[in-house]
Amino acid sequence: MKRILIIDDSATVRLYHRSILESAGYAADEAINGMEGLEKALTTPYDLYLVDVNMPRLDGYSFVRELRSHTAIAQAPSIMISTEAEAIDQTKAYEAGANLYLVKPTRPDILLPYVRTLLGESHP
Amino acid sequence: MADITISGDDFQKFREFFYRKTGIQFEESKRYFVDKRLVERIDATKNSSFRSYFTMLRFQASGAELQALINLMTVNETYFFREEYQFRCLVDSILPEIVARRRDKSPIRIWGIPSSSGEEPYSIAMCLLERWGGINDWDVQIISSDIDTKILEQARAGLYTARSVEHVPKAYLHKYFRQTAEGYQLNDDMRSAVEFSRVNLQEPADVRPLRNFDVIFCRNLLIYFDDLSRKQAGETFFDALRPGGFICLGHSESMSRISSLYRIRKFPAAIVYQKPGEGNEAYSDHR
Amino acid sequence: MAFIKQTAPRTTHTDERAQKRDFAGLTAELNDPDPVARRWAARDLLQHSQASAVLAARLAVEEDPTVREVMLTSLTRLGDATAVAALIECLRSEDAPKRNAAIEAMKALPNEVAPIMGGLLGDADPDVRILAVNILESLCHPQVEAWLIEVIERDAVVNVCATAVDLLGEVGSQAAHDALERLKKRFPVEPYIQFAADLALQRTAKA
Repeated sequence: MKRILIIDDSATVRLYHRSILESAGYAADEAINGMEGLEKALTTPYDLYLVDVNMPRLDGYSFVRELRSHTAIAQAPSIMISTEAEAIDQTKAYEAGANLYLVKPTRPDILLPYVRTLLGESHP
Repeated sequence: MADITISGDDFQKFREFFYRKTGIQFEESKRYFVDKRLVERIDATKNSSFRSYFTMLRFQASGAELQALINLMTVNETYFFREEYQFRCLVDSILPEIVARRRDKSPIRIWGIPSSSGEEPYSIAMCLLERWGGINDWDVQIISSDIDTKILEQARAGLYTARSVEHVPKAYLHKYFRQTAEGYQLNDDMRSAVEFSRVNLQEPADVRPLRNFDVIFCRNLLIYFDDLSRKQAGETFFDALRPGGFICLGHSESMSRISSLYRIRKFPAAIVYQKPGEGNEAYSDHR
Repeated sequence: MAFIKQTAPRTTHTDERAQKRDFAGLTAELNDPDPVARRWAARDLLQHSQASAVLAARLAVEEDPTVREVMLTSLTRLGDATAVAALIECLRSEDAPKRNAAIEAMKALPNEVAPIMGGLLGDADPDVRILAVNILESLCHPQVEAWLIEVIERDAVVNVCATAVDLLGEVGSQAAHDALERLKKRFPVEPYIQFAADLALQRTAKA
């Protein structure tokens, strides 16, 4: 079963994404900020990261950048999720190494197809 | 005692709050463990419901109730070779990296706080003597501090119960201790390997002279601090470390609840934190 | 080679008191080219109750994150009006780590932030409004629930409402129910709002 790490400082957002992902057959873990996310990523091999941008301790951009610097775990794709809709923020995300940038609030019918694509799965 | 029950929703609310504050995550299987202690605290604080207790817990300026709760929810026992994987990490990964980077022969400096009754710094000394090849080539200074002068005296005396030495390998027990009527007495050489000092981590005058450390052990102390004091402690340790120095926290503690100043380093035996500094860009990735 | 002890405590150059540690000396050191010196100055300025203004001035231009972190801690500990104003300025920063650090700092100053909370919640910038709701998390104030209810009744921006609903689930009561139901009707095609509002309704139901 593919394992996804959800990184967001809001417990409700984490629960929301967890329910979407688990319903779709994925296993999900949670982290409250980028630093905890990195600790978990270094301990468990995740297949995908769902990363909020605005978090204390290590924001989303920094998390992805740090992730990419650890070659052992750098390959898993990441989706950055943010309240910001500006083009500049998208650029920052891709420069940091994110694969995709989505604007909050997310919707299952938009999120899941992207998740499947990034995990290299076919669509039902 | 009023008949207080913790509903599923109460548990979820509490779980999220506690996780946010401490990083400790209670699984559903821990319901009984958590509920029992929550009811105990609700009663002790003269609240009649979870709701009123939770409001008090969330907003109490002193954070005393949260501390009491953390104390209750965590097991805090000290003994020799507790969380031993970190000592393995010290010997196998941290020290080799430090000496490889060293450009002079200045002593390796290790600071442990809290010392409590000394089990931790003495365990470190034993590990270095028994398992670190470099002990023959390098001077090592181990400083261990506590706020409590009585416990420091106890640590200097080096007398321990059977329970405390339960995890000491038999060979070390024979080599470094002698059994007396009062308990296990650490020998004089080992006792003189560690320098004990009284330090209040939150007192700037106490910590200012403590600098240039290669490794800091601060295990199961910060979890009991409030958010701001924890952050200040993170900053204090940062300045106490040499650039590239390392800090180890308790097994259920994480810098993610403390400070953004450090880099995470993953070694085979443990995850530890490093102060950025010259020469460690080359070590940004690890097996 | 072995275990050694030292007889005298070791110090480094910044401890040799090259600069005087009085207010004037520390203020000067706050602009030292060496970030270590700036960090110690930011920390020691905590001993001076009038330090907020100089810390705030330096914070506006300080780029070293290690120095900024200590400055924010000192400002939080000082917690006066000048300090709070400096923290609020950080909310408008383009720099995400700086914004987030300021929010954390303000969460530790609930009483100092309370008087201006109304204004922040009505700020023209929706991002500032979101950050203001974040600060409410640790604010013990009789008006918190009322503020949150007002946000979910009035705010046009879905993410501001989302942040408020989140917190209502934790601190709200039955008083919020009507507003939560109306929120669901206001954003019928946003699954997150439906989810978060339902969760809040469940968690604030009568025990």
